[in-house]
Amino acid sequence: MKKRLMVRGLSETLTLASNNTFSFTRLFCSSTTSTSSTFALKNVTKSNFECALNDLRRHVRDADFVSIDLEMTGVTSAPWRESFEFDRFDVRYLKVKDSAEKFAVVQFGVCPFRWDPSKQCFTAHPHNFYVFPRQEIPVDGPSYEFLCQTTSIDFLAKYQFDFNACIHEGVSYLSRGQEDEAMRRLKMAYEDEVSESWSHLKEDKDTPLVRMADVLFAERMKNIISEWRDELLRDRNRGSKFEGTSSDSNQQFQTIFFNMRPAITLSGFTSHQLRLIQLVTKKHFKDLAYVRVNRETSCVQHLIVYTDSKTDWELVMKEVKDGLRKEAEMKIKAAVGFRHVIDLLSSEQKLIVGHNCFLDIAHIYSKFFGTLPLTAEEYVSSVHKYFPYIIDTKILLNANNILQHMMKKGSTSLSKAFAVLCPQIASGVKSSSLAFKPCVKVEVQVDDMRSSNWNSGAKHEAGYDAFMTGCVFAQACSHLGIDFELHSPSANLAYDEKLQKHINLLYLSWINEDIIDLRTGKAAESSGSTNLKTRYPKILFPNIALIWGFPSKLKGREIRECLCKVFGLHSVASIYHLDETAVFVQFSKPDLVSDFLELKETLERSNDPISVLHPLSKILEGGSTRAASYEIYREICSSPFSKVLFADQAEAIGIKWKTKLLDRKVEAETERDESFSKENGEKTVLLTKAGQIIKDPYCAHFPSDELIDSLYPAEAHLSK
Amino acid sequence: MLQRRFLCSKVYKKPHHHQWTIKQVTKSNFTESLEEITNHIHDCDFVAVSLQKTGSYSAPWHRVLPVDTHETAYFKAKYAAERFQVLQFAVCPFSIRASKVIAHPYNFHLFPRDELKIGMPSYSFSCQSSYLSSMAREGFDFNVCIYNGISYLSRAQESAAKDRIGNAVTSTYVVQSSSTLSVADSLFVERIKSRVRHWRNACKDSTTRTDEALIRSLRKLVLGSEEYESRPCLSIEVCSERQVHLALEMLREFYDDLVPLLIPAKGGGTQAVRVVLTNSKEDKNLFERELQHMEEKQNRRARGFREVIDSISASQKPVVAHNSLDDFTFIHSKFLTPLPPSKDEFKCSLRMVFPHVLDVNHLMKEIGPLKKVTNLPTAISFIKRRFFVPIDLEIPQQAEANESEIHGHNVLRISQLFAKLCSLLKVTPEALEDDSGHLCSALEGYANIFNPCSTSSQDPIDGDVTVWMDDTRKVCSGDLVFLWGFRRGVSARMLKNQLSGSHEVFSEEFDVQLMDKSCAIVIFWNPGLAESFLEAMDSGGISCEPLKEMISEGLRAAGYDIYNKVCRLGLWKADLADSLDKALADTDSLSEAHSKEPSEIYWDTVSMINL
Repeated sequence: MKKRLMVRGLSETLTLASNNTFSFTRLFCSSTTSTSSTFALKNVTKSNFECALNDLRRHVRDADFVSIDLEMTGVTSAPWRESFEFDRFDVRYLKVKDSAEKFAVVQFGVCPFRWDPSKQCFTAHPHNFYVFPRQEIPVDGPSYEFLCQTTSIDFLAKYQFDFNACIHEGVSYLSRGQEDEAMRRLKMAYEDEVSESWSHLKEDKDTPLVRMADVLFAERMKNIISEWRDELLRDRNRGSKFEGTSSDSNQQFQTIFFNMRPAITLSGFTSHQLRLIQLVTKKHFKDLAYVRVNRETSCVQHLIVYTDSKTDWELVMKEVKDGLRKEAEMKIKAAVGFRHVIDLLSSEQKLIVGHNCFLDIAHIYSKFFGTLPLTAEEYVSSVHKYFPYIIDTKILLNANNILQHMMKKGSTSLSKAFAVLCPQIASGVKSSSLAFKPCVKVEVQVDDMRSSNWNSGAKHEAGYDAFMTGCVFAQACSHLGIDFELHSPSANLAYDEKLQKHINLLYLSWINEDIIDLRTGKAAESSGSTNLKTRYPKILFPNIALIWGFPSKLKGREIRECLCKVFGLHSVASIYHLDETAVFVQFSKPDLVSDFLELKETLERSNDPISVLHPLSKILEGGSTRAASYEIYREICSSPFSKVLFADQAEAIGIKWKTKLLDRKVEAETERDESFSKENGEKTVLLTKAGQIIKDPYCAHFPSDELIDSLYPAEAHLSK
Repeated sequence: MLQRRFLCSKVYKKPHHHQWTIKQVTKSNFTESLEEITNHIHDCDFVAVSLQKTGSYSAPWHRVLPVDTHETAYFKAKYAAERFQVLQFAVCPFSIRASKVIAHPYNFHLFPRDELKIGMPSYSFSCQSSYLSSMAREGFDFNVCIYNGISYLSRAQESAAKDRIGNAVTSTYVVQSSSTLSVADSLFVERIKSRVRHWRNACKDSTTRTDEALIRSLRKLVLGSEEYESRPCLSIEVCSERQVHLALEMLREFYDDLVPLLIPAKGGGTQAVRVVLTNSKEDKNLFERELQHMEEKQNRRARGFREVIDSISASQKPVVAHNSLDDFTFIHSKFLTPLPPSKDEFKCSLRMVFPHVLDVNHLMKEIGPLKKVTNLPTAISFIKRRFFVPIDLEIPQQAEANESEIHGHNVLRISQLFAKLCSLLKVTPEALEDDSGHLCSALEGYANIFNPCSTSSQDPIDGDVTVWMDDTRKVCSGDLVFLWGFRRGVSARMLKNQLSGSHEVFSEEFDVQLMDKSCAIVIFWNPGLAESFLEAMDSGGISCEPLKEMISEGLRAAGYDIYNKVCRLGLWKADLADSLDKALADTDSLSEAHSKEPSEIYWDTVSMINL
């Protein structure tokens, strides 16, 4: 679902219609004997994961690049956490962080692309992994929990997402942190047990048999075991087999071989009885070892094993322990599950291609590597270590003139880009003669089926989206002048000089075209020659006050009127609704923020009749209106939970004051010193915006009415 | 169109061999089922309910424990109800006749789909993967639930959404004698008057003529005429409520065959007035009735599953549940209004809607040997073994053979168990209700008790409570101390040993239990000792070397008030120790006056958490 929340653009509706012809192929069970081009992409669930992973290893190793795409259970945990123009660089990261931490990944598309010089085309291997955060092994700490955004789930349903496959059959995973923790616990448990078993000679904290029944039972067991042992020894001396020993007529005892030693299995006993048998064995038979082993059917088997000597006894115990430990380790390895795919992508250091993939990468980081750091800078430097080469097709499309021209400066959504850049794949028509440049050919291979005009995916299915992204990238490269025929297979595509200026740049927020450079963690200049969107004038964060908890009927326009009455006609540059309970007010001067906060504080303190007549009283009505500077928004965005309404959220994080005054000059000074780097990053943003303003002076008069009442900003901007 | 892309549409069904059939209700058969169940609810004696949710508690100490008072138990239930979602809601109207339970079970599949595109009923909800996994193991079909689940709006949401639902509404304006018209007003009125006249004449005119299609559509274009339910109509854009008022007044004054409709704007208010032309007086009446009908239909669609809740409420029948606090906090928050901040308000508010709530879990506590059983199947098999209660289940309706009939059986278990318990408690179920809608006095005493760990007392403060059997002892919350900051992995017994010699208060009888891995609770069986212990802790263990050393190693302690505060403020961290630390750190609110009166807790050493 991505950032394509509620409103699907018209373009998508149109492409959906044109896709209908292919949609019948979406049935997974399409027969494998088919030689036509309508086979399904590779769907991977629990049952075929091991096998698919092995194939994928080979494909990724050979690949020139790997495209990825994720489907999640949601994007924003509250309306006020959606993407706004009024998001500062650090706030934007916090929003992405919140999203990646709260929502689950349910589908993961991986599509390795390899250039085949003999066929002069790319071979793509689209994989569609169903992922579900199932708790496969007991983990310390809180239970696995994730959030679902209702609209996103509904969106997935609209595109026929198979929730049953995901929840019943999805591949689970452990993050690196979880795996280490599980291994550590296992090691501890093993060591405890080993030390325990060595101290066996020290008599058990002998729980004396008190109940008569227990005493009788123990005695009988002792006799049976001793009889079996004696017979064993006798048989051995006589040199005959002991399979036919008569004492085994009892169904509960069966003689078998365990690690080349004779043993009896114990079955049909209660756990209490088994404990008594264990006690008897330990107490009376120095050459018999009581062990528990796991059988294939995952049931535990209890055995008494005959050993030759003390060393042999210890050997048996060690073998059993090691066996159990190995099994537990295997279980943990198996529980790592889908993370093997991520580890593969990371270790192969291939060029990763995504479409508007900052959130995708954040999900990968938080699910498979570790907790997301508090700042974008820290985050980006760790991501860069795991994935040194990431390229974003949305950046590419907006950065290059030729590509922009081809896109007709319209939307750069994935499906649109695919339809425009790769028409021969998108529509299945081989009409490359019409194009001014021949299209890059892509052949799809799934298991042993190949096709050169494959298009049987479904939009917003992660595997197919990854495939589309890869096709768009290949085509874009060709338009950038990269000649794959000259490209040597050993050279890393990521070092191609034509891609250099686009690599490792991601949209931190598409809405403002804020780009983050993964190498530095700083905001990067948009390298695009023209801007597609009408830019809003610069947003000066020190000029912003945040007001919430005002009377619910109050509109932005009215708040502006009130403020203008007090601070002058041009004092308010713009008003922006965060949600129905909160607004950002951008004043024309930073001083007005503190003036406003002080005035509000004074009015609330002196509860006299005059203050009731004050123009601001309209905003303060109800007595729960709160206000603070922009900083509070960052603070609230970084809190771990999410109430639907901003005012409720502020209350939930324990804000009790009504007005947070600015400690004027002093604070401003220290803040600048403390967070120089942050400020620096911010300034870069402001500078680009300022430059924009100069180009277009008419825009400086802020069209505030457009913003006022825009309670649904997400709809307009969130489409990917 | 699109065919499903289900993985081989594999059937993940666990073989179940129940002879009981339960009608499964989704969007497609909701309307008919609603009618049926409403009738059944009307005719029955009781309604049993059972909910399937997406999760319950995220950390061991988040669930309701024996140490919880009514208040803290409510906060815990509230926290769960606000975060998780109900995916199945089973309702079973039933009656008890002789030794027979006559039941009409229905299982509704719910999904909080935003049917009206207004961000309701739920922006987001949490899921616990273990819950989803276990539902999966039982063969739950998530696709059916998400694709075809019934949506709903709570009562509070419906009234909030009235103006945002977005359907045209008939004007309910009372036209007042208009105040003086400004110049702008009269200009507006004149302009729309002539426009309406022109359009009306053209419409009347064209109805008699048979124009070519092209001319007709051209005429439409020129006049700005549209069609509304096969009647011609015209939209008048308005900029303010004042203009709406003027337009309505003008229409009412001059035309009796025009029906004005208000088109709501997205952010509230009115965007336009749509004028619909009717043929005659009769046609006008007909049209108005149609509108009313449509509005009603739209509202019903918005309410969705809540119609069932409303219908149970309207019947005032006693509702039988298992773990009623859990289920009714969900019901309250999803279908009524957001949960109130205190348990008492919750009880009051709920009683207005459901006057009698009976909890089988609570009834079981009335029967000695059953008092510690909380699990439904265990209780049923226990009764089967220990008592002879011949109660048969009869389900008159036979749902058509449906593969997913395996869901919602709990509601039948509840109904049957309830009948058995009534019989054991010697309450004659036929005479449960008199004509005035009051529960018979025998059951009245069991109604509306929501504390899962408490006994019969309805009021925890002044109820005469008896000390329970050998292993359940009453303890005052003032005699409990929370202890944390000790080494991880310490067992309760080790901690008790450690404490025994550390301070003189521990020379008297006391007990230690772990709340979770990070925090323990100390129970002082002699009153007053908790206080002295807390004082000793506060003083840093002066003149008490062992305690001093433990404190220096990080041991912290707090009384029940801090725990209560943790629950009230919703500091639900994974470790209780962290939550208690946070609550202690919030010093500024420490002074606030909160009811300090200690409440009683039933200390049940057996049902305490097993870690």
